[in-house]
Amino acid sequence: MWTVFKLQWIRLFKQPTLLITFLGMTLVFVYFMAGAQGEQTITVPTFSETLSQEEQSDWLDRLNEEETFEFIESDYETVYEDIRMNERAFALGLEEDRYQFLIGREDMEISTLIQYVNQIYSEEQRLEQVRQDFGTENIDVSNYIQVETTGRTEAASSNEIYRMAVVVGMSLYFSVYSILYLMTNLVEEKQTGTWQRLIFSPLTKTRIYTGQLLHYMLAGILQIFLALLILHYLVGIEFGTNYMEMSVLIICFVFAIVSLGMLLMGLVGSPQQLQVVIPIVATSMAMLGGAFWPLEVVSNQILLFLAELMPIKYGIQGMMGAVLQDRSLSQLLEPIGALVLMGIIFMGIGINLMERVSENQSI
Amino acid sequence: MLETKDLTKRFKSKTAVNQLNLYLEKGESVGLLGPNGAGKSTTISMIATLLPPSSGKVRFNNEDAWKNPQGLRQVLGVVPQEIALYEELSAYENMKFFGKVYGLKGKQLESRIEEVLELIGLTERKKDAVKTYSGGMKRRINIGVTLLHEPEILIMDEPTVGIDPQSRNYILDMIRELNRSRGITVLYTSHYMEEVEKLCDRVYIMDHGEIIASGTNDELKSILSNEETIHITVQTHSLSFEEKLSQLPAVTQASEEEQGYKVIASKGENLLEDIFELSRQTQTKITGVSLQTPSLEDVFLHLTGRTLRD
Repeated sequence: MWTVFKLQWIRLFKQPTLLITFLGMTLVFVYFMAGAQGEQTITVPTFSETLSQEEQSDWLDRLNEEETFEFIESDYETVYEDIRMNERAFALGLEEDRYQFLIGREDMEISTLIQYVNQIYSEEQRLEQVRQDFGTENIDVSNYIQVETTGRTEAASSNEIYRMAVVVGMSLYFSVYSILYLMTNLVEEKQTGTWQRLIFSPLTKTRIYTGQLLHYMLAGILQIFLALLILHYLVGIEFGTNYMEMSVLIICFVFAIVSLGMLLMGLVGSPQQLQVVIPIVATSMAMLGGAFWPLEVVSNQILLFLAELMPIKYGIQGMMGAVLQDRSLSQLLEPIGALVLMGIIFMGIGINLMERVSENQSI
Repeated sequence: MLETKDLTKRFKSKTAVNQLNLYLEKGESVGLLGPNGAGKSTTISMIATLLPPSSGKVRFNNEDAWKNPQGLRQVLGVVPQEIALYEELSAYENMKFFGKVYGLKGKQLESRIEEVLELIGLTERKKDAVKTYSGGMKRRINIGVTLLHEPEILIMDEPTVGIDPQSRNYILDMIRELNRSRGITVLYTSHYMEEVEKLCDRVYIMDHGEIIASGTNDELKSILSNEETIHITVQTHSLSFEEKLSQLPAVTQASEEEQGYKVIASKGENLLEDIFELSRQTQTKITGVSLQTPSLEDVFLHLTGRTLRD
């Protein structure tokens, strides 16, 4: 088994282009999709038809205390026209004790923005209430009273959520490519006859399979870890301290993908056909599973059902939980269990199919 | 030592090998001759315990080989038709890997690698990637890897396909050497009758999944003892000449060759006169006529009505 395992590594080191390419593509995609976005603040044009210039300016100062959003002054006609022309997705209308949103199109930031503005208004109203109740209009009560704003942290980190989704999604997506393309070696070996040579040898099939599959798993794990390490040390992306949870999730995800690979190898006989099938499977799985966009924006029930069958969905869900929500292994049992279950099912069917094909192959 | 009993392989509705019986004695060199698609590779895949038979048995030392495949595999060396090597690795790396797979290690492995490299004449190029080798060199290393664990039985599936005559002779001499001086039992499949004639003590001729004749070279050729082969060289081929040739009462087979026709006819008949008469009638200019003793190719033609390369 270890002889087969070591041989696969020697072969990989002789031709490392595949792994390096997909590792590079992970970094490039993360940089362009999340790197630039991560630095951006979201500009929110504001208008008011009832507040004075000074009052509006006070509200803008208060709203701009957080750096996630930048509230800029505008007027109703301008923002209305911008939204009508689809140049802006939304704008905020300020009034003394309430606010309104003009929304032109769906945008993933809107719910976070509404939550944020609502918090600010709630705080202000409470403080105003205190002032009125105690007659302290001339004293800035906010210096003495701390208003708890639960959910605020969450609201302020929407960029971070998006960034992390891209980092995790792309790392897992490109690892799927590497693993599946590496696994075409197995089919090639059956075609060139090296597999048959191994079968003629005293090695058992279980050992041959185990040696090969361990290699593919470790190569996949290595790629994901390298991508995360590079992103952490060179781009400065924080992954928290749940290393064990992340490691378990990565291992389970890679196991599920190697098993999926076995299923594909069993279904598709030739390396040439696999070259066509792999991108289709990897990309559609990533699209359905939420690697390209959050599943929250999907409303179609069929697509949501299909997402449940995609290993990448559970990989992303688990990793996000471990990194952003500080979830422990016991809280991550659902994605871990789903990945392991999928892995076992795919592997079982895959090996059976491959062996059935082998039974009809001669030298 | 190794025998098959009514060995049959069916792929869905197609029967690739049908009720095949053959045997190999220790130290023998046996040929399995047949055209492409005759079922040779399927047969040796079943003998080598790679492909399970639909029915029938493979017996090694009087025991069912399929009940304990490891016992046979340990003493078996199979040279596949394809270059079954990791081409991005060197000859040395390939040998080291396959040697380890057979349980060789340390000094024993190193000395076997050196010995086999010497035998196949690739010591100088052992560090080069196999993909940089010529066709003949690839064929040699393909055989070399099989010899590492010193197999008692060597099954070779058309090991000289697609190489130049010089490399082919090198390989054939090497196999003869392995068989004669080291006592390795050889089962050699090919559709080149010259190779089988040169190497093998006994020959099985296969067609459409069945053995249609077997015996030593001489025994097989004696099938044609009452016949002779005449090669007629013509300036241009003529369909009517060929048709009339095959209609002659003494002619068993008449087939087109590159530069003329090959005729198998009963011995003792004065056929040449009839042939020249036909050439006059059909205005086919004969530029040469030669008589030849029968070959295995002729035997195959006689038995099937086709040539081995059809």
